[in-house]
Amino acid sequence: MATAELTAAFARLDQATSTADLVQATRAIASLQDPEAAETLIKVLGFNNPAMASVATEGLISLGCAVVPKLLVSLDARNYGARAWVVKVLATLRDPRGLELLEHALQADIAPSVRRAATKGLAELDLNNSRDADALRRCCDGLLLAGRDDEWVVRYAAAFGLERRLQHSNVSGSMTDQALALLRQLSSSSEDVKVVRLRAQLALQRLNAE
Amino acid sequence: MAVTEPLNETQVIANLGQSADPSAQYYAAWWLGKMRSRHPEAVPLLLKTLKALEQTPVEPDRRGVALNAIRALGRLGNLAARNPLCELLNSTDYTVREEAARSLGRLRDPAAVPGIRRLIESGTAVAGGEQAGSPLLQEPCEALIESLGEIGLSSAETLAAIRPFADHPRPLIRAAACRALLQLTGDSSWGVQLIELLKHPEALVRLGALLDLGATGWIGAGSAISAAAVEPSLKLVALRGLAEDSEDPQVLRAMDALI
Repeated sequence: MATAELTAAFARLDQATSTADLVQATRAIASLQDPEAAETLIKVLGFNNPAMASVATEGLISLGCAVVPKLLVSLDARNYGARAWVVKVLATLRDPRGLELLEHALQADIAPSVRRAATKGLAELDLNNSRDADALRRCCDGLLLAGRDDEWVVRYAAAFGLERRLQHSNVSGSMTDQALALLRQLSSSSEDVKVVRLRAQLALQRLNAE
Repeated sequence: MAVTEPLNETQVIANLGQSADPSAQYYAAWWLGKMRSRHPEAVPLLLKTLKALEQTPVEPDRRGVALNAIRALGRLGNLAARNPLCELLNSTDYTVREEAARSLGRLRDPAAVPGIRRLIESGTAVAGGEQAGSPLLQEPCEALIESLGEIGLSSAETLAAIRPFADHPRPLIRAAACRALLQLTGDSSWGVQLIELLKHPEALVRLGALLDLGATGWIGAGSAISAAAVEPSLKLVALRGLAEDSEDPQVLRAMDALI
């Protein structure tokens, strides 16, 4: 049962017509921090209104990992805008259940900002459990793919992510070799974009693998 | 030729060399710049397309090819393009002058400075005055001032020509002037003025100031860029400029937080 406050906030959202009112109503729903608000906040992500979606994204993140199953089933595959926001929420929550969606976003999304967020997610999903060896391998495979992306910002995120995984996760020997080889490539003159080279050099330096 | 097949450099050069199909030339000129072509025919052929701008009237399709060629010549970094581009600063076509100025900025050849500076020396009232019935100024001041900053040759004449534009009524022109003056003098007070523009009510001005701050490589801008009310993707572009100029790991740390 939704609380009276939440019901009232939903009603305000239904009645809102201007962007300012819509954003205000979304903010009111998000600020209640009520898990029952998740579905409505997810619906808002699909309204194609960046100001509202950004407020809803913050609201969903503050609700924590409990929203992950709802995020995964609710997703309208045809709504690219909504998917970008969902990728951002999943990447920030670091919940391993988001793995498949992040993998897919990295491989298939046309927007560099979404591939960048997916890459960050693959770098930071919480995989402390030893059972997660397969998930860790998939994350690393994703990061290797991101390192060959056409967009510099995705390759930058890959350098960041490979460093994190090599530093904090129990990555297998052969995967470590591949990751270091890619970082060396990104730090060399075969990489056109200087900031990517700088980031890969920093990663190698921190990993004592120059 | 099937449209879906990716073009190789030999085909692109052939497409630029022919003149029966201007749309193939248009694409070829863009492609050579985008791919940073090192083909020995690239620069001569691009320069040849500029001849279309000397005809009266200029054919619209050929003008489009020439504009792409001007942009490509800036990207290819071959100084053989400098004199032809400098001549285009005398064009009666505003967009041609604007693109030529931008490409000269990319070439970073100090020899281009006097020609660019001449166009803004009449000051904010003439060069920086509005054209009747058009949103354009008399001269493409933003491009001219920015390219003087990019080339980076500081002299009393150049600084004196740019300084009045720091008080121009249009915020984007003020931003361009502050950016160039910061690049040319290293005086951080110009950076402080740019940071003020990051609070401007118009999103477009905030964005312009953000990219200008990134382009200067002024390390004092880092935290202001991170905190600006602008999309993260754009902040990353601005911080990229800063990181590449300063090579400061602090900037990389700020970028890590935004990805």
